[in-house]
Amino acid sequence: MPHRYSRRSVLTMAGGGLAATVAPVRHAFAQVDDRPWFFLTDDEARWLAAITDVFIPEDAFPSASQAGVVDYIDFQMATDYGRGDGLYLQGPFPEGTPEQGYQLPLTPAELIRAGIAGARGEVDLARMDGAQREAWVTDLSERDDGIGDVPAGTFFSELLSLANEGYFADPIYLGNKGYAGWDMVGFPGAHAYYLDLVDEHNRPYRRQPMGVAHDPSGRSTLPRPVGRGG
Amino acid sequence: MADRTLPRTDVVIVGGGWTGLTAAYELANAGQRCVVLERGGPRHDATHFAGPEEHDELKYALRYGHMMDVKRETLTFRHDRRQQALPMRRLGSFLPGSGLGGAGIHWNGQLWRPLPSDLRMRSHYTERYGADFIPDDIAIQDWGVTYDELQPHLDFFERICGTAGRAGNLDGEAHPGGNPFEGPRTSDYPNPPMQQPISNTLFGEAAERLGLNPFPMPSANVTRAYENPYGAQLHPCTYCGFCERFGCGYLAKADPIICVYDRIRDHENFEIRFGAQVLKVETSQDGRTATGVTYQGEDGLDYFQPADTVCLCAYALWNVHLMLVSGLGRPYDPQTRTGTVGRNYSYQTIAAVDAFFDDEIVTNPFMGAGALGVVVDDYNGDNFDHSDLGFLGGGYIACKQYHGRPISYQPVPEGTPPWGAQWKRAVRETYGHHGDLVVHGSSVSTPENYLDLDPTWTDAYGRPLLRMTFNFPENDRRMSDYVMNRAVEIAQEMEHVTSVASTNLAAVDSNYSIVPYQTTHNVGGAAIGTDPSTSVVNRYGQMWDHHNVFVFGACLFPQNLGYNPTGPLMGLAYWTLEHLKGDYLDNPRPLMDA
Amino acid sequence: MPRITTPARPAALLAGAIAMAAPGAAQDFDTQPSIREMESRLEDQHVLFGVEIESDVTDDLLELGRLVAMGGAEAGGSGMACVSCHGAEGRGDGSGAFPRIAGQPGWYLYKQLTDYASGARPNRVMSGIAQRLTETEMEAVSAYYAAIDAPFRPVLGTVDAQTLQWGGQLGAAGSAELGIPACVNCHGPQGTGNPPSVPYLAGQYANYMTHQLQLWKDGTRDNDAMNVMSAIASKMTEEDMRAVSEYYARVRPPEREDLSGTARTTAAEGAAGGD
Repeated sequence: MPHRYSRRSVLTMAGGGLAATVAPVRHAFAQVDDRPWFFLTDDEARWLAAITDVFIPEDAFPSASQAGVVDYIDFQMATDYGRGDGLYLQGPFPEGTPEQGYQLPLTPAELIRAGIAGARGEVDLARMDGAQREAWVTDLSERDDGIGDVPAGTFFSELLSLANEGYFADPIYLGNKGYAGWDMVGFPGAHAYYLDLVDEHNRPYRRQPMGVAHDPSGRSTLPRPVGRGG
Repeated sequence: MADRTLPRTDVVIVGGGWTGLTAAYELANAGQRCVVLERGGPRHDATHFAGPEEHDELKYALRYGHMMDVKRETLTFRHDRRQQALPMRRLGSFLPGSGLGGAGIHWNGQLWRPLPSDLRMRSHYTERYGADFIPDDIAIQDWGVTYDELQPHLDFFERICGTAGRAGNLDGEAHPGGNPFEGPRTSDYPNPPMQQPISNTLFGEAAERLGLNPFPMPSANVTRAYENPYGAQLHPCTYCGFCERFGCGYLAKADPIICVYDRIRDHENFEIRFGAQVLKVETSQDGRTATGVTYQGEDGLDYFQPADTVCLCAYALWNVHLMLVSGLGRPYDPQTRTGTVGRNYSYQTIAAVDAFFDDEIVTNPFMGAGALGVVVDDYNGDNFDHSDLGFLGGGYIACKQYHGRPISYQPVPEGTPPWGAQWKRAVRETYGHHGDLVVHGSSVSTPENYLDLDPTWTDAYGRPLLRMTFNFPENDRRMSDYVMNRAVEIAQEMEHVTSVASTNLAAVDSNYSIVPYQTTHNVGGAAIGTDPSTSVVNRYGQMWDHHNVFVFGACLFPQNLGYNPTGPLMGLAYWTLEHLKGDYLDNPRPLMDA
Repeated sequence: MPRITTPARPAALLAGAIAMAAPGAAQDFDTQPSIREMESRLEDQHVLFGVEIESDVTDDLLELGRLVAMGGAEAGGSGMACVSCHGAEGRGDGSGAFPRIAGQPGWYLYKQLTDYASGARPNRVMSGIAQRLTETEMEAVSAYYAAIDAPFRPVLGTVDAQTLQWGGQLGAAGSAELGIPACVNCHGPQGTGNPPSVPYLAGQYANYMTHQLQLWKDGTRDNDAMNVMSAIASKMTEEDMRAVSEYYARVRPPEREDLSGTARTTAAEGAAGGD
């Protein structure tokens, strides 16, 4: 029964056109499903689910939103990185060449919020079908103008990076739910001892991935996967 | 004026990394009271870098957990003098360190020697190819120190690090299995080479078939339990794949903490202060000597630390910055081409080649180490005939397996879209079937690539930021293109390869970008040499203008070699210390006539 | 130092991980585990065998393994059955004289047997036993014990909190002063092992572990890759060894649980639909 703040319900409502909703959305933070987002609004979360699922759609492996990418982005925006850690924010802020890197006076959280607001002001991603969404996203990736108050190119790169990180970072950051990303490529994770195996050539090494906070029973303390039936 | 003046010490050392801790070790044991000032905090491999917490790609490899904080100190960057330099607001192209051990904690552990010709690049090219070979806009210089003079020191540092490798030239005799181009060495590496995965092995076999000379990359990821000359105990590398950008909780990657700091920290002549940001080197009234340094402590107060001798051991860029903000030496002016501090800044010229394997080859890319590679040096330095090529310099070509960390390691075939279903499938299908080749090329200096102070932006201490003016010289673009094509040939010769792709970061139609990571090999700005009009320090690492200031690190390189700089700069460091201890301290004076 | 060699026979080299029970499966711990139960766990292969190095383990192999464990090895006519010392379930006999081997990575157990046989790991009792096993029997009995999930015996004796805490600290964070790397670096989360090469420590007998550390330290045992353990043990005092052993003896892997719903299982299901 979806509560008002249920993340699961919010993402499920991301709605039509998303292949993801054939099965119930199995998302990352079900154990605190009743808790509101740390940073995002429901609309922003839905928008992010829609666009990141274009970046990383569901196939034999979970889609971005199914793997907790939206939860990852939410957590990042609410914590150090989103607040501008590792970013030199002294002005002035003249525009530079691409080779001079990021020059906006915005923290990542501000950039994401402004970009999403701009995007939602242009189109309603939720109402589009899959093909339309892909076309719009492709177009966004090639624009050199602004979207809302921010440059489309910078906004787009940031989204793509965050989606990629969210799919493959350690599950303690709320993405890569149930090691979806690591399973997909075959990355064994944070527990690594390969001295005996480096020169065992061409021998596939497949082990249960183990993250930083891996619980050997297989149960993750966070995030906790929703049961198979949803 | 500083808030407080501290009791005088014999030596004050700016920076607690490889050179700073080594200087402290050697000088403390020689009876000098040393104070090391490190801007970052304390840490130790066993406790701070213990896996699995350490094996967190997001925190350390992407959010730069072990590296410097750009909010406190960064630099501005532009291609040339027509542009306005803008702040490097995020780390990218290079990743300087902070904290005990500095960048020596998160380095790859690749440990090289310079070629004998590298140290006398101008003379060598002139002798071999004629007086007109070097164009006017290439400012390469001789170091003023020879390979033979540095050899014992290069050898010693290899033993400090327990370097794993195979000699190629023992006392002038060719030694099979090593690098036949290396300068002669008096002893073999202290540890046997690393075990190679299939990708690197296939590369080596292909290189041999092409008549090249592959050898295992010299590695400070130690290959067995080892005790170094200072008494440090190192452990064998586990090929965990969390090497570069991370500290080593296995105590297997040689770093300044376990190799040096642990062996000196209890010495009565050794003191280190953390959270100590050196703001300025203070000079005497007549400007001939330094009187000590002013630094800001953890409490926010400024302290003046007087000393008889000052050692600048910060990271290359920040050594130069400190000289500029302190008024040490004469700053370089590209307009008039006078002055020396900031002159001869250069970098590293990188190209990449991807070899895609068929499904029979399973690389297990996560079994990696920072110096795990097979190398050919046939296109480095002047190891090949440059007569009709139209460039000088070169680089090594290596097939390496550093890591398989999934956010960053996503090789895909050419033409793969950057996202979507096809991308997703390509990522997983390529992950365990890819070989990673790199071209690690030299970087010549030019009159227009230099460092000075920015007029607009400041650091957290109110000082002007360092300003970097740099673009890849035409020479290096041509060199990179040439050597990259040689690498492509090797990749195409490799067995089980279905396709090859290449990326030249110094391509002819591109500009140096401060955004994607390349190397943390910023060199120059305080060139070593025998002529004070073109160098900042004499051949002993002593500043021409201030005889009690000794400078360490890659800022001394007048141009960059085709190798990682740690080995050569530490050879130089031991050379400098030999003269500092043995000659200077008894009779403080300029060791060379200007 | 001994190199780990791959047996020429491809079929049976396996690497087992921490064995995990299917939830609610009744375990009759007074009798040996049935082959059927073990097989049903084998279905959950990715869970049971954390690492696949070679092809599937068959029930023939497990049957042979049980036979060998019971003393039925071809050349084992002297009655030296594994079960007499290590127990039918590999839990030892409670004294600590014989280590717990249940659920140790199969590859690790196999390697120890070959090292006993060759003398790379000296042991008066085990050498003779191992020398009388064929290679197939070594693989089989290793697979058998690796596949067993057995409960832990209660720890005998008490130890003061300070020692325990020091042991836990060494295990999790090592020691900067002594230059000791943390045990978890190689021995896995909470000392539960890192298959295929690294055994678990959690729940092993304390005096057995202390003894092994001493053997590493004085060089009597050096059959690990690159002598890591002797390098580490040489930095430990007797107190350090005792602390870390008593600590890990008391560590228990958390309660088993229903593992359905993990991405891996769902991916496996999804994969059935083709890619």
